[in-house]
Amino acid sequence: MIEFKGVNKWFGKLHVLNQIDLKISKGEVLVICGPSGSGKSTLIRCINKLEPIQSGEIIVNEKSVHDPSANLTKIREEIGFIFQQFHLYPHMTALQNIMLAPVNVKKISKAKAEKIARQKLERVGLDEKADAYPGQLSGGQQQRVAIARGLAMSPEIMLFDEPTSALDPEMIGEVLDVMVSLASEGITMCVVTHEMGFAKKVADRVLFMDEGKIIETGTPTDFFDNPKTDRAADFISKILTH
Amino acid sequence: MMAFYFSRLVEIFPFFLKGLWMTTKVAFLSLIICTLIGFILGMIRSGNNRILKWIIGTYVAFARGTPFVVQIFIVFFIFPEWGLQLEAFPAALLAMAIMGSAFICEIVASGINAIPKGQWESASSSGLTKLQQLRLVILPQSMKVIVPPLVGQYVLLIKDTSVVSVIGVMELTRVGWVTVVRIPEGLMVFALVGILYFSISYPLILLSNYLEQRMAL
Repeated sequence: MIEFKGVNKWFGKLHVLNQIDLKISKGEVLVICGPSGSGKSTLIRCINKLEPIQSGEIIVNEKSVHDPSANLTKIREEIGFIFQQFHLYPHMTALQNIMLAPVNVKKISKAKAEKIARQKLERVGLDEKADAYPGQLSGGQQQRVAIARGLAMSPEIMLFDEPTSALDPEMIGEVLDVMVSLASEGITMCVVTHEMGFAKKVADRVLFMDEGKIIETGTPTDFFDNPKTDRAADFISKILTH
Repeated sequence: MMAFYFSRLVEIFPFFLKGLWMTTKVAFLSLIICTLIGFILGMIRSGNNRILKWIIGTYVAFARGTPFVVQIFIVFFIFPEWGLQLEAFPAALLAMAIMGSAFICEIVASGINAIPKGQWESASSSGLTKLQQLRLVILPQSMKVIVPPLVGQYVLLIKDTSVVSVIGVMELTRVGWVTVVRIPEGLMVFALVGILYFSISYPLILLSNYLEQRMAL
């Protein structure tokens, strides 16, 4: 479903993605972790071309994303992206936030889009907040609206860029609960997170990155209990004692 | 003598109203043109195309960095040498458009740049085209930043229309000059001119203050 072939990316002199080869299959839940600055956010931001790459190829659904002739709108329709800082549109209500892309990208009628939007809001447990503006919602609620907004496009893939890092501790649970239930529904998910509970519960595979390279991958149990590399072991001990 | 001049002034007051009408016409038309061009230039200037940005940047620097009276002379006296011969009225509009759109371009560009990058990313990741991102997500938010200084700029542009008197457009200021030749009571004549300008710019000043307060919330 998603394939990286020899992908390289630099920010100036910094080699943020170093010869990345990776295959993510349909329905897989992949958790990406690693120290800050290891390139994990950049990795998923390249999947829908929020970031350009300098060499290599990324294939999503048999389409080469970074090919200049690629229909980016079509590709992005199938990929939901959840940001650390939510990035809801502050001038629109929750409902309008969710309806925007279905109406303007998929050209669905307003009535139908509203029905979908209400469904998705209910899905994340916020049906009573349909008319609230982002500024009136807590961080956890905003992130759930953002997830509903992503789901409204019925994407095959959902990418999460540290979805709980900007949240107060008591709100992390409500967002993770939504993500856990998504994982059981067969959506392909790539999640950059340090929430090891989430990884152990739903991840099919954990990928550990450092200095722009994939250092190791494995099932959650293997990775957390028997890391193969010192760097991974060191990282795990740090986030566990933290 | 004062009373005599005053009664003369009252007599020719319709002449002033004509001047006011011309000033309003120049101001209104040029504000519309400036706003349209200014928004288009501002959007491009806040975009990613380096060559276009540089061209617009140069244009803005020239238009903001030279006196309006020089610009209007160039349009009226030099453009004909390059093959563009215009009557005074369209020349005045063109000069206003060049100068005003440069200022409005800057206001619009800085309004767009004030919106966090995450809003663009969020909108683009959902598949919206660049133009949709701008129209549906960015501009509605930028308007809060753009509108108060924009209305303030309108007030300045209305007053700048007085400069087009130099190429013979019979607007309010020119009416003042013509009148003062016959009624040599400068203070009285130009007080009237000033009051008439004030009558169109003051409502806008009030609007600008009101918007500034409302948008600040």
